[in-house]
Amino acid sequence: MNPLLLFLIPILPLFGGVINVCFGSRLPHRLVSGLSVAAVSGSFLLATLLWPLGSGEGTRVVLFSWLKSAGFQADVGILFDPLAAVMTLMVTGVATLIHLYAAGYMAEDESPARFFALLNLFVFAMLCIVLADNLLFLFLGWEGVGFCSYGLIGFWYRNSKNASAGRKAFIVTRIGDLFFAIALLWLFSAFGTVMIEQINARVAELDPLLLTGLTLLLLGGACGKSAQLPLMSWLPDAMAGPTPVSALIHAATMVTAGVYLLCRMFPLVSLSPTGMAAIALVGALTALYAASCALAQREIKRVLAYSTMSQIGYMFLAVGVGTVSGAMFHLLTHAFFKALLFMGAGCVIHLAGGENDIYRMGGLKEKSPQVFWLFLVGILCLAGTPLTGGFFSKDAILLTAFAAGDGFYATLWGIGVLTAGLTSFYSFRLLYLVFFGTARQAGQGHAPSPLMLWTLPPLALLGLCTGLLNLPHLFGGHEWLTLWLGQPMAEMLPVGTEIGLLFLMLIFFVGGWVIAHVRYRTFPGDEQAGWRSFLLSGWQADRVYELILLRPYRAICRFCWQGGDKALIDGVMEGLARLCLHWGDYVRRLSNGQVAFYLQGFAWGLLLIVGWFLLASVK
Amino acid sequence: MTPDVATPFPLLSLLLWLPLGGTLLCLLLRHSSNLCRWISLLTTLTVLVVALGMAVSSIGGSGWLFYEDAAWIEPFGIRYTLGMDGISLLLVLLTALLQVAAILISWRQKQRPALFYALVLVMETGIIGVFLSLDLILFYLFWELMLIPMFFLIGVWGHENRVYAAVKFFFFTLAGSLFLLLAIIWLYLLHGGQTGDYSFALDALRQTVLTPGQEMILYIGFMLAFIVKVPLFPFHTWLPDAHTEAPPAGSVDLAGLLLKTGVYGMIRFAFPLFPAAAQKSLPFLAILALVGIFYAAWIAYVQTDMKRVIAYSSVAHLGFVILGLAAWNQLAWEGSLLLMINHGITTGGLFVMIAMIQDRSGTRELGKLGGLWTVFPNLSAFFLLFCLSSLGLPGLANFAGEILVLLGAFKADPLWGGMAVAGVVFSAAYMLRVVQSALWGESKKLARNDDLAVREWLILVPLAALVVLLGVYPAPVLEFLREPVSLLLETGGMP
Amino acid sequence: MIVPLEHVLYLSAILFLLGLGCVLARRNLIMILIGVEIMLNAVGLTLVGASAFWQQIDGQIMVVFLMAMTSAEVSISLAMVVYLNRRKGTVDVRAFDELRG
Repeated sequence: MNPLLLFLIPILPLFGGVINVCFGSRLPHRLVSGLSVAAVSGSFLLATLLWPLGSGEGTRVVLFSWLKSAGFQADVGILFDPLAAVMTLMVTGVATLIHLYAAGYMAEDESPARFFALLNLFVFAMLCIVLADNLLFLFLGWEGVGFCSYGLIGFWYRNSKNASAGRKAFIVTRIGDLFFAIALLWLFSAFGTVMIEQINARVAELDPLLLTGLTLLLLGGACGKSAQLPLMSWLPDAMAGPTPVSALIHAATMVTAGVYLLCRMFPLVSLSPTGMAAIALVGALTALYAASCALAQREIKRVLAYSTMSQIGYMFLAVGVGTVSGAMFHLLTHAFFKALLFMGAGCVIHLAGGENDIYRMGGLKEKSPQVFWLFLVGILCLAGTPLTGGFFSKDAILLTAFAAGDGFYATLWGIGVLTAGLTSFYSFRLLYLVFFGTARQAGQGHAPSPLMLWTLPPLALLGLCTGLLNLPHLFGGHEWLTLWLGQPMAEMLPVGTEIGLLFLMLIFFVGGWVIAHVRYRTFPGDEQAGWRSFLLSGWQADRVYELILLRPYRAICRFCWQGGDKALIDGVMEGLARLCLHWGDYVRRLSNGQVAFYLQGFAWGLLLIVGWFLLASVK
Repeated sequence: MTPDVATPFPLLSLLLWLPLGGTLLCLLLRHSSNLCRWISLLTTLTVLVVALGMAVSSIGGSGWLFYEDAAWIEPFGIRYTLGMDGISLLLVLLTALLQVAAILISWRQKQRPALFYALVLVMETGIIGVFLSLDLILFYLFWELMLIPMFFLIGVWGHENRVYAAVKFFFFTLAGSLFLLLAIIWLYLLHGGQTGDYSFALDALRQTVLTPGQEMILYIGFMLAFIVKVPLFPFHTWLPDAHTEAPPAGSVDLAGLLLKTGVYGMIRFAFPLFPAAAQKSLPFLAILALVGIFYAAWIAYVQTDMKRVIAYSSVAHLGFVILGLAAWNQLAWEGSLLLMINHGITTGGLFVMIAMIQDRSGTRELGKLGGLWTVFPNLSAFFLLFCLSSLGLPGLANFAGEILVLLGAFKADPLWGGMAVAGVVFSAAYMLRVVQSALWGESKKLARNDDLAVREWLILVPLAALVVLLGVYPAPVLEFLREPVSLLLETGGMP
Repeated sequence: MIVPLEHVLYLSAILFLLGLGCVLARRNLIMILIGVEIMLNAVGLTLVGASAFWQQIDGQIMVVFLMAMTSAEVSISLAMVVYLNRRKGTVDVRAFDELRG
């Protein structure tokens, strides 16, 4: 197979996007959505067909040279290695399903061209991240997904709150990009190249301190895109976008870009123990933080947003404890079940008549058992019910963390286990509030369209069964994913310990479920007060940022303008001008229009000249 | 000294004097504004075609691509020397392109159209002259020639506060250029005194032997003129005022072209003539540039007038350009020059679009705009594209230049590069604020609600295409820059 | 030459100073003009004296020109005096200060 075909994978969605940008508004709605679905499914097919190219060392192809100048070279080039292959398949696959779903979801919208154009462009940008063979091309995708997510979050722009949410997402992730960009510059000045392969091959040459710095910078970049502490505050607001967007961008793909980046640069990252510890710490803390926030959320999509953040925290933890395959494993299962949950949430919102608040739902199980069962699968995976995909992937991460041994990682493991309990609790809380109890919604809902509904079962199936991909030895598996990625097998814990830990996990899972069951089996009534509103507002993070960052920033801006430009610089310049005017005023008075006065001036001048010559002749 | 290419036909002179010919025609036929319009459009188009032809014919060329030399004012050793290398070629192309846009955007000029077009064309001659002159007096002549039409464009056709802005613009730039004139004359006298050959030729003057003190003073004299024009912090305050008051064509020329003449002056004259002083000044330039990047980005964030936001963004972008120059390596210089071209196109496009928006909504105040996307989807899409380019989205024009500058600057000093990256975040903050206030939200009261007309499509499509093309495939431009830049860096120019 | 050059010079210097004094001291426009005439004549006298002393004709030619020019100047300035007098009813120079800054 011609490796150049690999370029068709990102180019197809790009094409779909560009056609929709240019002519979409003149095409019939069906064609618009059909085109974009076709583009994405085309790249999914290609990714499947070209899968063999990804094995072993992978394939590298270059289309053309993007930027080339004085020793710097960045190509539009693809590195299709096992990691990229897995990710490509996941991105295109999930994207295809979500595009199909969106075709149903957005059927009534007045400007589907913009929506599908952005969605296609997003897939293109995401594939750039995944496939890029150099960091600059990766950066193109990196910023590209930022822009597309900006456009899609603010898709219903007439409400300027949505647009603001989009802007917040763009700017906050761009703060992260800043660190990534610095890392990029630094890597170039250290290695003279931005090729990922070459950098990873030569990391051993670097000074350990520099390595730590680079790792932290990459972590900063990853934090921005993946909504980890402290750059997490944009993700809950991003739920202002249409639901397919939340499913595709803010659950399945874009937010995992940070994890992917760290996995991509793992040879570099893994050499810095401090950096690894920082990654693990950020991951564990975010997992806990987000899970705690999810406990009290009222909007269905915000619950899911926080749970996304929390699950990505697990993935960071996985990278931090050194298991790329664990991170990728969780990334895959999470992509499937979270997309399922979000798309299920979209159906739920339709069923509840546009209601977002889970306290105003309830009893939907009778209304649509189909949606209930599919949603239940998602919830089970999220909560880590034994034998679902989510269980195996989460368990793998926690086992590795435990195996890492020392006190620090043991603490992180503890946090992880606690978070698993919280996850189980809020997942079932969501389930109970939405599907059980009495119907509390005001509006009359309508059933989701078949197109929407039929995209869910494949995801449910995948979510349940992805566990098989990397089934641990304990369950008779061979850890296929780890093998494919060429990662070293994790250290084997003694079987007894492993079983013990599994039981501990089980206890936390059941505990969470039981508490949720007791508390939310029947609707307990509105609960607002105290620590709940603290959790509801995400630990007041937005207010804190407003106080310590935004207000000072605006003050500085205003000061520079009023104090710097207007008062100081213009003041000095205008002061000079006024000085000139002032002196001119003095000179002006000399010309008083009196001929006699002027004549006197002449006379004095004459005297002076004559006197001068006299003096000169005397000398 | 002697060029390797003997130009059979004085193409450079043609390029240079064609717009002035258009001016004369406009003034002769001033009674028919329609005729003037077409004459000026045809003139600018011809210049563009000639420039494009020259570019195509000189692909892969080296040395002076075109060169002309003739005696002019013999007694003072002033010669009529024009030369075009890759850098001037690109800048002339940019000039020709933006002038077409400037004429098209003022197509409906009501007030004294003949004079207006005539002035725009004079300015084109002035700007092209600056980019081509190799004799210091000739250069100075064109340098001042740019100033006068702009003064009148702002002062006569400007908005409410136009006289203040015009006078401010005039005094800032004039004050700078007087130092330049003094420095030129002193250098001429020093050189003549040493060699007996009184000449204003750049090549000859580069051989002058100077004491470090003299060199520094002369260098500062040159740089003052250029820094004010660029404009570098803290000499930038004329720019926002001039932009706010200038008519659309004036804004396009100002941001797209006039600012570039300052940078061009530095690399063609100030640095090669005084290399030692230039080396000493680099850290200061870098600091001024960095301060400018942040300072301008911050101020842009709190502006309420769209034009002022873009004006301050120009200051910030030119800060990147100067930072690249200060980094003094091939990578950064190519980036700086590329960024200059790309910024010209992007900002030119933005100012063109602001004029269109103002035409339709009757205001440029961010608070009074909103929801334009609902009414003008095409116009808004173009606006978004230019804004994205301006905030440095990879794949669009500005990023290509910026990243090269950053890479080069980081190589020169990690601190410079690292800090400058932060400027990119701030640029996102203010550009998105503009986008948000103008495009999103509920739509407000409008004067007109027709989307793009054919004439407007004609302006925007080429600019937008270039924004994308230069972002994705800047190689041809970089190819033109490679040799001249390395010559300038190593020896200060053509031998 | 019968009269020594010094004497001519003394005389013309005295005449010039008298004229200057008249120009500076008087407020009447006509008197000022007369002062100017006296100064001019003093200069003319110097020229004639010098011409005689060096036996060169140039000085006298100058004086002829000077006389012609003076007559023209006087006719114009007197016309202006008449006009000014008509405008303000006075020939006092202090009345005419329209050119003040």
